[in-house]
Amino acid sequence: MKRFIVKRLGYALVSLALLSLTIFLFVRLTGDPAVLLVEPGASKADLEAIRSQLGLDRPIWVQYGSFVSSLVRGDFGQSFYYRTPVLELYLSRLPNSLLLAGAAMAFSLVIGIPTGIIAAVRVNQWWDSAGKIFALLGLSLPSFWVGLVMILFFSVYLGWLPSSGSGTVLHLVMPAFALGWYFAAAHMRLTRSSMLEVLGSEYVKLARIKGLPEALVIGKHAFKNALIPVLTLAGINLVIMVNVAVVVETVFAWPGIGRLLYEGISFRDFPVVQATVLLGGAMIVFVNLLVDVLYAVIDPRIRYDR
Amino acid sequence: MFRWHSLRRTASVARRSRRMPTLVPLLLAVLALAAVAGSGAAAPAGAAEGQATWAVHVTLAPTWFDPAETSGIITPFMVLYALHDALIKPMPGNPMTPSLAESWSATKDGLSYEFQLRKGVKFHNGEPVTAEDVKYSFERYRGASAALLKGKVARVEVLDPLRVRFVLKAPWPDFMTFYATPATGAAWIVPKKYVEQVGEDGFKKAPVGAGPYRFVAFKPGVELTVEAFDGYWRKAPAVKTLVFRVIPDESTRLAALRRGEVDVAYSITGPLAEEVKRTANLRLVPTYFTFTTWLLFTEQWDPKSPWHDKRVRLAANLAIDRAGINGAVYLGLSKLAYSFIPQGMEYFWTPPPYPYDVKRARALMADAGYPNGFDAGDLTGDTIYGVAIGEPVANYLQQVGIRLRLRPMERAAFFQEYGDKKLRGVIFSGSGAPGNAPTRLEQYAVTGGRYVYGTYPEVDGLYGEQAKEMNPRVRQQILHKMQQVIHEQVMFGPVIEPAFLNGVGPRLEVHGLGMIANHAYSGPYEDLRLNKR
Amino acid sequence: MSTTEAALRGTGGGELIVGSRMSTLAASGFPYIASSILAVLMLVAIFANVITPFDPEVGNLGDRFKPPAWQTGGSTTHLLGTDHLGRDVLARLIFGARVSMIVGFTAVLVAGALGTSLGILSGFLGGWVDQVIMRVTDTWLALPALTFAIFLAAIRGPGVMNIVIILGAIYWTRYARVIRGEVLSLKERDFVRLAIVAGCSKRTIMRKHILPNVLNSAIVLGTLMLGVVIVTEAALSFLGVGVPPPLPAWGLMLADGKKGLMAGYWWLTVLPGCCIMLMVLSANLLGDWLRVKLDPQLRQL
Repeated sequence: MKRFIVKRLGYALVSLALLSLTIFLFVRLTGDPAVLLVEPGASKADLEAIRSQLGLDRPIWVQYGSFVSSLVRGDFGQSFYYRTPVLELYLSRLPNSLLLAGAAMAFSLVIGIPTGIIAAVRVNQWWDSAGKIFALLGLSLPSFWVGLVMILFFSVYLGWLPSSGSGTVLHLVMPAFALGWYFAAAHMRLTRSSMLEVLGSEYVKLARIKGLPEALVIGKHAFKNALIPVLTLAGINLVIMVNVAVVVETVFAWPGIGRLLYEGISFRDFPVVQATVLLGGAMIVFVNLLVDVLYAVIDPRIRYDR
Repeated sequence: MFRWHSLRRTASVARRSRRMPTLVPLLLAVLALAAVAGSGAAAPAGAAEGQATWAVHVTLAPTWFDPAETSGIITPFMVLYALHDALIKPMPGNPMTPSLAESWSATKDGLSYEFQLRKGVKFHNGEPVTAEDVKYSFERYRGASAALLKGKVARVEVLDPLRVRFVLKAPWPDFMTFYATPATGAAWIVPKKYVEQVGEDGFKKAPVGAGPYRFVAFKPGVELTVEAFDGYWRKAPAVKTLVFRVIPDESTRLAALRRGEVDVAYSITGPLAEEVKRTANLRLVPTYFTFTTWLLFTEQWDPKSPWHDKRVRLAANLAIDRAGINGAVYLGLSKLAYSFIPQGMEYFWTPPPYPYDVKRARALMADAGYPNGFDAGDLTGDTIYGVAIGEPVANYLQQVGIRLRLRPMERAAFFQEYGDKKLRGVIFSGSGAPGNAPTRLEQYAVTGGRYVYGTYPEVDGLYGEQAKEMNPRVRQQILHKMQQVIHEQVMFGPVIEPAFLNGVGPRLEVHGLGMIANHAYSGPYEDLRLNKR
Repeated sequence: MSTTEAALRGTGGGELIVGSRMSTLAASGFPYIASSILAVLMLVAIFANVITPFDPEVGNLGDRFKPPAWQTGGSTTHLLGTDHLGRDVLARLIFGARVSMIVGFTAVLVAGALGTSLGILSGFLGGWVDQVIMRVTDTWLALPALTFAIFLAAIRGPGVMNIVIILGAIYWTRYARVIRGEVLSLKERDFVRLAIVAGCSKRTIMRKHILPNVLNSAIVLGTLMLGVVIVTEAALSFLGVGVPPPLPAWGLMLADGKKGLMAGYWWLTVLPGCCIMLMVLSANLLGDWLRVKLDPQLRQL
């Protein structure tokens, strides 16, 4: 067991290292940030001075080395544009993204799980079909379009909800729905198939033969087991949500890290871009690791797989 | 009010110290204090209150808090007018209003200029504004035209704490244009001691100036908050807090305005501007400043390019329906431009207008050998005007066969690449920089200019002549001739002098838009007033 | 492995894949509607020049913001109205189908070719080749697709070809993972073992025995990826880092239409989005059906 965890941890670290290198190299392909930080008409000497100040004149492996060593200490460097520590910037926007993702996740679970269960229980009946349509739409509609259409209806035509910005619960409703629908669909489908599998299992058959009331069978025995994969998927999806929210953030002018990344790229703010992408990737790697380990704990067979 | 308080206190303390403290004088003192405090609070004048919020269309950069880094665009002045003050600056009614300087004079030979500073003016941190600070601010200035300005000045002399003299190397008629207008930020004064103490970066993080508002907080990419500085020499501001919120998306700005989250939304165009007009409690207020937009045909000096042929450039100019663009984007509120120099500038020469003539444009294209048009590459511009105006322009050019791909770039990157001569095809250029015709010519049409991709020898020759000419009438003739040559060569494709359309909400009684001539934004901030509830 | 585990682990979690054994809408029947929609879209894209009355890239400013024919102010000249430059919306939607199809299919092909080959190499050859490819895949998967796409687009600049390259570069990993899994199980099959014993070169085996058998998975994955790629392209164009104006692309139309939203010009937003939805929905339905039909094992996808 320990070996398994250690091996997985090793893989995760290698991934992170590769990730940091990839980002580090790629970001330098977006252009020269020094030119954006001086006034137009600045002399070559001025540009050199800025580059030197930002540490960009050193050989690339030296830059990478110092980047990594600062990283290990938790220092993501200073934003070129705003001259404040990047971590500070990131952490100031992260709660907004987490709030949005959290709300969207809550929505997706509250809608997804019950509809999935009902669809499984009433397989191939009306509910099931309705659920499938809901799911298909959710998986096919781009989230930002859903957001735009919602703005059209609820803000422009009906005037019920504010069309952009953040601040109150009302501001959260539309972005959370737009972001969450896709995941609600995914969760619904997974819940349904998972429930069906569990309902067809020996264990449940036995409970039914024993004459237990159907509600108890579903509610107590099937439900809990069916839920495990859904929740793990939800965990992974939460992280994904935070990262794909950039378009929804754009539509609703939600001040999250998606927008931070976008601005960072526009301003060629290397540290900001590096940090945002790296932290986003690190979250995914970490959650994957957690899931792998949890699964290994739950199901011993997995440990010997791969 | 504060001095009143301390006087009262000292008086009562003095009395008590002279004899045994008794209750009666103490009571009297307390009552007096209460009376003063009560009356002070009740008096509306002098007590700043309330908050006014702006939805700003660009991302606020920390470099804009520092007058030393003004880069020839007007956007930093949105912030400078709040945090800082200048010796001389544009105010309502007078583009050269003495502010930190009480008066100025120049010697007859044009070699030296002397400024008399106002007495008793303080920075936000209590330090007095002195001639040392003026000299320091000039010397640390490194923004637009810094090299030019500093190159002409031999030395800056501090005559006494309130008098400073600039001695030029040679007589230069444009000294005041460059020093005392928003052409540069050199006359905006920062505190020497403070800047030396906190350093450049520290100053950008917590700027201190002599303006009507002091810095409170800056959330990068989100908003800037400033608070009224009661000790401002001109008057204490009426509005206590100003918030500049960054909202780059136009629809979002309008939404915020509609909901009352902001009081002024900058830069609203096209259908959204029409929405503002339709909405009952909102007003659409245009402001104007010396701003032109034009196409630069970078390839006209390349014999292999279709743009080399003057007929093609002319065709492009005839194909653009300037009035149509004005109507669609600016509701007809802008001025049509036939020159890259703004009409309001000194030494402007009025060119004959280009008619909107698609037939003739197509004929010219055919004559030049491109009856089916050609692929003209990229139309590079900034994300605001390059799109709002650039897109319809590209649309019109396509009608005569000139096919362009729109390539908007973020502002800073755009100007940098433009200036580094890295762009090809057609550039959608724009400039709101203050100055006069010579300054524009220098930057955009004369060899050596920052944004010049090429020019014609006659233009260069004439520019050299006018620089030496002291007689203003002769100088004007030369400058007019220069512009004529540029027009005949069809060097540019001028489009529009855009109005700056803004949405204003109901809360501001005095919103300041248009009060200062040639200033796009609300100002002066100390004159703003909220509606009484 | 249970279905659900396969679902979760199939692609390492970096991309959302939902597993289900019976969730297909047309569990037994061929999805007629979906495929006809796709066929129509393809025909529209191919014959765009013929069917469009207007030039999708040029418009008359004086005709801007005309509503669709059935609304007051609309006319039958511009059936679906015009945009902010007076360009005919229907024409732009039709040509937009072409752009979406080109980008979608090409990107899927690129990603598929790259991913399948690497997956085969990785699965069959094993050893350090496998390790290297898998580590790179892991890293790539850890990068959120959209974020990475924006990032790459910033480097390469806008343009249809650039977008295709970028999308291909991002989504190949989904293929690699799945194909590799397939190959691993194929390796144990008798006919492959026989081929090895018979002395066939590795290359021949990969080409003749492995490749044809993983094609099914690749195709199925392709139909699923098509929807994802199209939505991603739309998102990139919406953000301004995808297809450059004035090319007609549905994502770009959504970006342009956003401004008119507050003024009530609904058709500029709703119509392009419906098109995206139709294409993606049809692709998904087709993919679902293919998944069931081609190989029951693939339901794990």
